Amino acid sequence: MKLKEAVKVLRSKNAGVWHITIDIVFKNKDLYEKSKARLNRDYFCRLFNRKSLDYFECDGINTLKISFLRNTSAGSLNDVDCLGANFYIPLLGVEI
Amino acid sequence: MIRALSLMGQLGYGYNRDSFAKAIGEGIDFIGVDAGSIDSGPYFLGSGNMKANYDATLSDLEFPLIMALNKRIPFIIGSAGYAGSDTHLSKFMEIVEDIAKDNDLHFRVAVIHSELDKSVILDLLKEGKIASYEGNPSLSEDDIKSSTHIVVQIGVKRFIEALEKGAELIVGGRATDASIYAAYPLLKGCNPDLVWHMAKIIECGALCAKPASPSDALLGWVDDGAFYLKPPNETRRCTVDSAMAHTLYENTNPFIIEEPDGTLFLEDAKYEQFDEKTVKIYGAKWKEKERPTFKIEGAKRSGFRTIAIMGVRNPDMIAVFDDILDEVRQQAENRFGNGFTLNFRQYGKNGVLGSMEFDGNLHEIGLIVDVVADDQAFAHKVCSVVKSTLQHYDYKGRIATGANVAFPYSPAEIDVGEVYEFSVYHIVEEDLNNYFRLEEIEF
Repeated sequence: MKLKEAVKVLRSKNAGVWHITIDIVFKNKDLYEKSKARLNRDYFCRLFNRKSLDYFECDGINTLKISFLRNTSAGSLNDVDCLGANFYIPLLGVEI
Repeated sequence: MIRALSLMGQLGYGYNRDSFAKAIGEGIDFIGVDAGSIDSGPYFLGSGNMKANYDATLSDLEFPLIMALNKRIPFIIGSAGYAGSDTHLSKFMEIVEDIAKDNDLHFRVAVIHSELDKSVILDLLKEGKIASYEGNPSLSEDDIKSSTHIVVQIGVKRFIEALEKGAELIVGGRATDASIYAAYPLLKGCNPDLVWHMAKIIECGALCAKPASPSDALLGWVDDGAFYLKPPNETRRCTVDSAMAHTLYENTNPFIIEEPDGTLFLEDAKYEQFDEKTVKIYGAKWKEKERPTFKIEGAKRSGFRTIAIMGVRNPDMIAVFDDILDEVRQQAENRFGNGFTLNFRQYGKNGVLGSMEFDGNLHEIGLIVDVVADDQAFAHKVCSVVKSTLQHYDYKGRIATGANVAFPYSPAEIDVGEVYEFSVYHIVEEDLNNYFRLEEIEF
């Protein structure tokens, strides 16, 4: 099963001008637990090509959340996405 | 019980008149609205221009303000003029003044200033009181000096003071979204645990309802043990999911929300469906800070931009496109030296995800030649030369000797104007409340 089929919300957005945060809200407890067992901080570091990132398992609300520093501040000359709203795309096809 | 109305997610998006009338009919204690953000990038803070123009702002402000004055309830605006510098505040106040004149209104306004003098920030930097924000590059003297405006995200204290002084309209400079909605209930003695959590969610208006919308209202009320959220619009509802999801929104940490005066801890927050349209929430904990901390934001001008847009469809050219772009860049540098920045944005290839792109499939590239230089004429010249070099570039294996690219526009070069970038986004570890001048105006 692909991650996009297991979630009801999958989005990324700027958190301030220097960070991207990604919310992965699962459809139910089972899918959340199953995904939590397969995914981890290292996996997301590799996927987003980061040395480190913040990774949160929010058990009460069946949500995984990751946050990381942007390559450059939002809207600067080399930025690709001023709102940071497209960085969930690499997650769509992740097998869980 | 205190009842708050969030007019909409952002002033200038257009609000729903029926929802507003319904909320007024149900009875509310104050109206709040957020008028700004840093979402749309550094341009607005840097240039001093408003994002929502005069007409959009006036049409969202006029009727709700008249109703608030009629009902004698405070109207509280944060991040006025979008980025909250003194320039933004004075542009915003021109609109308020026109509304007062046009409608023969007489009322008391408190304007809370949030722009800081550069000398103050330079002193704070020298005293070691400015920290980087969650790992971003540390601040330099040059970052401060090159900024056109530096503002502080002000907290709730000055808003409370303005209410105490009898302001009927508060025009806040750059402010945390939650401060707009926390001031009145805190002044009335409501439980800060509940007030701050409500204020954090309600600021987005009906964006946290289903179906979501930034241009519609949200009602929130606090009683002794919980707070409640409900959209006045009959076609929307607040659900446990929609409210929870919004608490996560735009925060790096799902359990902690930092405000200048304290920290909100969300780990024990409970969300319950109260009735079909209403969510009941409680359980978050607010902890006051011993010494407040403030986020500061600044932007500087990086130059003037000219762009050219073109499509590339030939598979032989696409196969060697990176080499072509390297060569064209080199030619531009040889000819013009270093006084410009040249960016090739390749939509269809890595235009959106940049270095994080993982999908190699492509049959077509939408190319933007993006040049930023110290003046517009030079940016235009470089862009024009790069454009024509690409148009005629004799890459290996080229058989189509007409033109290499498809231009949708004539002229191909588009002058975009001034370009800004964020130069300051840092934390000040010092109480700055005394710097936020509270200006009282009577119409």
